[in-house]
Amino acid sequence: MNLTPEQMELGRRNFLKVLAGTPAMAALGAAAALRGPAPGGRVRIAFIGVGSQGRAQLTNVDPGYGDVRALCDINPAQLKLADGVLAKNGMPPARHYGDWREMLQKEDVEAVIMAPPLWAHAELAVGCLDAGKHVLCEKMMAWDLASCERMRAAALRNDRVLEIGYQRNHNPMYQAAYDGIVKAGVLGDIYHVRLAWHRNGSWRRKAEPPSPDYNPSQWGYPTFDHLINWRLYWKYSQGLMAELCSHQVNAANWFLGSSPDAVIASGGLYRFPENREVYDHVYVTFEYPGGRTAVFSSVESNAFDDYYEMYMGTKGTLIMLREREALLFEEGGSGRQTGIEVTPAGKGAAAQSSETMAANTNQGATRAVTTPSAGGDAAARPSATRLQMRRFCSAIRVGMPLACGPDKAIGSARACIGANEAIKTKARVNLRTT
Amino acid sequence: MMTTPRLSPLQQVSLVILRSLVGWHFLYEGYTKLLHPAWSQAGAPLPPWSSAAYLKAATGPFAPLFHWIGNASWIGSLDLTIAVGLTAVGVSLMLGLFTQLGCGGALALLASFYLAAVPTGGADVRAEGTYLVVNKNLVEACAVLVLFAFRTGSIAGVDLLWMRSRPATVPVQEVVV
Repeated sequence: MNLTPEQMELGRRNFLKVLAGTPAMAALGAAAALRGPAPGGRVRIAFIGVGSQGRAQLTNVDPGYGDVRALCDINPAQLKLADGVLAKNGMPPARHYGDWREMLQKEDVEAVIMAPPLWAHAELAVGCLDAGKHVLCEKMMAWDLASCERMRAAALRNDRVLEIGYQRNHNPMYQAAYDGIVKAGVLGDIYHVRLAWHRNGSWRRKAEPPSPDYNPSQWGYPTFDHLINWRLYWKYSQGLMAELCSHQVNAANWFLGSSPDAVIASGGLYRFPENREVYDHVYVTFEYPGGRTAVFSSVESNAFDDYYEMYMGTKGTLIMLREREALLFEEGGSGRQTGIEVTPAGKGAAAQSSETMAANTNQGATRAVTTPSAGGDAAARPSATRLQMRRFCSAIRVGMPLACGPDKAIGSARACIGANEAIKTKARVNLRTT
Repeated sequence: MMTTPRLSPLQQVSLVILRSLVGWHFLYEGYTKLLHPAWSQAGAPLPPWSSAAYLKAATGPFAPLFHWIGNASWIGSLDLTIAVGLTAVGVSLMLGLFTQLGCGGALALLASFYLAAVPTGGADVRAEGTYLVVNKNLVEACAVLVLFAFRTGSIAGVDLLWMRSRPATVPVQEVVV
């Protein structure tokens, strides 16, 4: 999918024009305001896993909402980098731990934000929830469905907040698109969704061990490469389906109001077979109820198509492009002009980390950051990750509804785990019975 | 001998409603200040409360005094005193407990609020309306004056229950000369 600049501008304007008539969340805010304030200071937070994604979350903690007390990571080099993030943001230093259990025993924290390798999500999240902590766990929810269910049960058992970190759920552009376009019926009936995340690179990260004698085998990583490139090994990762597709299928589940019934898929490890197990090309078809189908592809050999979600309805097409642009096209029409210049996308979105953004790939040079439209004060807009951090704190303090609690997160995890199973078994996987 | 004219039921009910409303206003103002640090139900932390900003912006004849207080090192203690005072007055007026004392406290607080921001006709960013001399603080103070004058604690409330529960005293015999 490639559009000319003129088409991009037209789509952007169409999107904004339709949104202009959309009442905002003001009614909800007004209703909430009828109740008085609730007591409580800043949420006392600890971090587990301060790699690139953990640090992206750390830098987005709003100091008015949260107070970062402690950091935990098995790699001391990551802790040092996290210290730099705190210092850069003018936040006070946090104590360091290599053992999360020791941290929970010694620190008086209410909440834990975690971004460890996927295979560790369940053990850490359940441990923290059972210790009475609220948990914000980076996506995907867990490596397998049994682990997802354990996490959900632990949250229920302990009556704690468990949010799974999907930044799209907190992106105002997505909220606006859902409320003003999808829910409002502007697209008509949606039968087809295209999800694409195409890149041209090995996904391999380069890093030096924190010290020559550093040995991560005690934590289950035979070599330092297994730790730093955990995404490439099945033991720790669910590959492209978890790291990329789960973002998009989670958003599609939201917009379609459902999760897939079944999945068929193909793929393989075709281009980068050395020191890698997970597929580098995947092609997936998700069957949703009501005759709706979403297709997902992720290739690591060509970045021309970039990444987007495209909702194709009987009356129009909505494209959510690179998490920063929303484009709307009338079906068969020439588009509607509008003078509105404010766009929900903005500079802030570029500050967040995700798998395809420059900070997390070796492909920075190929990625252009879309500049915001004139008229919007983009710099003043908080990023989706910052909004996510705030909302997590609000959920703890005043019970704000979760954007992606365990139920929704299991829906997308099941689809992505099922897709990998479909590729491995070369069979159609029924998601309602697995 | 002159007797105090008895208030009609409507007059009594009106006065007690007025007292309850003024009491709730004070109670909630005080409660929310004591609550800090606090969060709005919309999910955002509320900015910390202090009387310093109000005092520093004081206008009118007593402005220098209030400016000085606003910059004082003991402003934190004053904030706590105001919050506790508001709450105590609120409880007093809501329950009709030590009502006359509560009215006195309310008058003192409202007088200080009024004097710190006497509406002299200029635009005041702190005000939600446009006022000249008379503002809502002054009107509320007058309402409290009415409550004080009519001794509403003896119409309804804990004060009345207390009075009724005390054993009847033997009237002192007038000395007949």
